Amino acid sequence: MHTIIKIAYRNLLRHKRRTILTGIVISFGLFLYIFMDSIMNGLDRGSMDNMINLSTSAVQIYTREYDADKESYPLKYGLQDLAGIEKTLCAHERVKSVTPRTRFLGELSNDEESMPVIGTVVDPQKDKTVFKLTDHLVGNYFSEENEREIILGKDLAREMNVEPGGFITMYALTSYETRNADDFKVVGLFNTTDPALNKSGVYITFRAANSFLDLENTVTELNVQLKHRINFDNLLDDMHDVQALVTKELPNLRASSFKELGAGILALVKGKKNWGAGMTFVFLLIAAVGIVNSVLMSVYERIREVGVLRAMGMGGKEITWMFMCEGIMIGFVGSLGGVVLGVASVFVLTTYGWPLDKIYGDMYIDTAGFPFWGTIYGEWNIPLIIGVFIFGMLTAFLASLPPARKAARMEVTQALRFV
Amino acid sequence: MAVLELKQVTKIYQKGDQQVHALRGVDLTIEKGEFLSIIGPSGSGKSTLLNITGCLDTPTSGRVIYNGKELGKMKEKGLSDYRKDNIAFIFQSYNLIPVLTVQENVELPLVIERKHSKKEMAAMALKIIELVGLKGMENRLPKEISGGQEQRVAIARALVKKPLVVLADEPTANLDSETAEDVIALMQKINLERQTTFVFSTHDPRMQKHARREIVLRDGAIVSDERK
Repeated sequence: MHTIIKIAYRNLLRHKRRTILTGIVISFGLFLYIFMDSIMNGLDRGSMDNMINLSTSAVQIYTREYDADKESYPLKYGLQDLAGIEKTLCAHERVKSVTPRTRFLGELSNDEESMPVIGTVVDPQKDKTVFKLTDHLVGNYFSEENEREIILGKDLAREMNVEPGGFITMYALTSYETRNADDFKVVGLFNTTDPALNKSGVYITFRAANSFLDLENTVTELNVQLKHRINFDNLLDDMHDVQALVTKELPNLRASSFKELGAGILALVKGKKNWGAGMTFVFLLIAAVGIVNSVLMSVYERIREVGVLRAMGMGGKEITWMFMCEGIMIGFVGSLGGVVLGVASVFVLTTYGWPLDKIYGDMYIDTAGFPFWGTIYGEWNIPLIIGVFIFGMLTAFLASLPPARKAARMEVTQALRFV
Repeated sequence: MAVLELKQVTKIYQKGDQQVHALRGVDLTIEKGEFLSIIGPSGSGKSTLLNITGCLDTPTSGRVIYNGKELGKMKEKGLSDYRKDNIAFIFQSYNLIPVLTVQENVELPLVIERKHSKKEMAAMALKIIELVGLKGMENRLPKEISGGQEQRVAIARALVKKPLVVLADEPTANLDSETAEDVIALMQKINLERQTTFVFSTHDPRMQKHARREIVLRDGAIVSDERK
């Protein structure tokens, strides 16, 4: 066996250029897969994090009555004993922060036209601990006074022809279900990755809402932010734990996690994973073709050598192993190269990210939540990296088998005559 | 004592619709220690006879008996094992393994045979390398030595496991006169000293001159069998 490995190894060195090229083909195929997987997972994670950080939070808590009628954003089902609920939630080790929000339906109007909007009442300071609206802000956030100040989506502002510093009129039903109107000063605009939010979202403070909606500090939902998890599945588990906590400790309330609130995007991510499996096949096919080609060339170049070895009494099995060793060695080096390159690229992607805004400038693409505005960060997928290495080796093994067997089955007399 | 007996050996190749009779009822007995040349024009059946003698091919009919053991009906695996233990080859174009050193090439039949320790194999190889006059070149690759030296390595490789018969196919065809004489002298020396049986096909008159028995083949049949 030692001699067989020695012959295989030295033959690879004998044809350095071909070996290096085949190795590069395999490495490139596997590297591309690891890199793409990291980017795709990063995009998925970015999309889901965006949704959590901008509109849904990880877990929402409201009364059961509100939950039954939440499509109409009723103001009458406020949460009681907010401090007690917050205390219970913050006792959970994975809970990072909690903020109150109250949503309402309204209508924005300038002198010429009006647009329906979904309004959100926020506590300016606490909201920043759960949501990242300020990361997407053009202009200012709410001032200390925050009286009759409004922040709205960039697209909505464009439609309403209003800019930061300008005034806009908003209509809405108060908590007593009477129609009210008031002028608000636009302090800032937000341009998020959520097109719906950009087109119809407005934010005002509780202080402004107390007079505008007769809200009396009514909070219809509590939004919970959880501590960061590298693996998104772990984050989903944390959300489930918090839901379970609410069910147990606060039985009158209802908790909805991102699993329900972001069901659409989760289904999209799952669909993309199937596409990823197809992509693997293509990349590994490239690698397999490289190995088959290399081993076949090796077999054809050494037909006489095979004849000599067979004439000396070397068995078919040993001949097969000799050529398979070459394929496996190329596969090992190629797979290792692919994994090293892949790991390096994922390290760069996870550490420094891919600054799309610097590469593509101020491009805006309506991408159902894909973060085309900032930096994409990759995701580590260790089982996939190990799997890719094993798969690369397995492909090398299987790809070198047919040409190796072809060499072993050659007739000795034919092989010796081969020029 | 007969090392090899061929009895009424025929070999027919099928080429499309045509049958080619490469050997037509050849009878041949080779004794231990013979230095025998097979000559004849192209297509006379020399290579086929050598292949069947070397167990690289099987006859269409007839019997091949090595040391009293009939091999004619053996399958490839059995023939391969028999070759491994009893037969060695020297080829016209040396056919050394280019990635192995001189010593590794010589050790190769022993490695395939799997009967000796590493130390024993090295000792046997070095002894035979010295015998063929290549001492000091053990670590060179085939591309680093001359054609004549390559053929000496091929001879050393053939002799290292002390085979019953050495079959040589035009062993001097690629060598210049002086080197060819050296190689023939070496083969003769080993033949006489070790009583190793040599059977070679050749067109080379220098080689024919040294043969102690000459068989002439024509159209697949032995037309002359002369002992000198």
